[in-house]
Amino acid sequence: MDYFSAMDISASGMTTQRFRLDTVALNMANASTTRSINGGPYRRQQVILGERAMQPTFNQMLAREQGLRYAGVEVVQIQEDDSPPRLVLEPGHPDADARGFVRYPNINPVGEMVILLEAVRLYEANVRALNAGKEMALRALQI
Amino acid sequence: MAIEGIGAASAITPPAIPGTQAAQPAAGSGFDMWLQAQLNTVNDQIMTGESNVRKLATGEEGNLHEVMISLEKAKLSFELILAVRNKSLEAYQEMMRMQI
Repeated sequence: MDYFSAMDISASGMTTQRFRLDTVALNMANASTTRSINGGPYRRQQVILGERAMQPTFNQMLAREQGLRYAGVEVVQIQEDDSPPRLVLEPGHPDADARGFVRYPNINPVGEMVILLEAVRLYEANVRALNAGKEMALRALQI
Repeated sequence: MAIEGIGAASAITPPAIPGTQAAQPAAGSGFDMWLQAQLNTVNDQIMTGESNVRKLATGEEGNLHEVMISLEKAKLSFELILAVRNKSLEAYQEMMRMQI
């Protein structure tokens, strides 16, 4: 049914915002990780979002031909931040280099908090949009 | 002309009854089929919602909002079929109240 398409779009938005929240949580948890899986300090993960491509089903192709867009959004890729690691002087640390500097992850907790808040607010906005669509459908049923 | 008119009138009445008889099962089956199909859709959606809830409870499905949305879809479809049922019942009762 047609009014379900708005729900699917909002659902994709919620899924991606939840994914951003997961990534922020991962970054925060690894804010002082000096040994990542790939070796060296942990690198900040960033989520790249993109518009979801239409599925090659008949309905979606027809909708695209009619100029309707109901694909939504999806996570395109997760990219590592290439900015240099934070150098902290801790000569006694096992991971310290010859000069006594330890390379800590390039994570700024304040910036992560901002992304976290944004993800939460956008999730709420998606819920709001979904509820609005639901209200409209219910109002139509009261005719 | 007059005789032909009577003939035409008598010719019209007999096909009118088979016409309605032929149309009635077709129209009835059409609405019946539609209603049945809609009921099946609603039932499927309720079942999907239920299985999603089960999946969430067993940890198979991680997305809370997907489950809620499938439940909402089921609810909306049910509301639609309920509205259709109320409308047709209302029309039937209106017919029953009609003075003959």
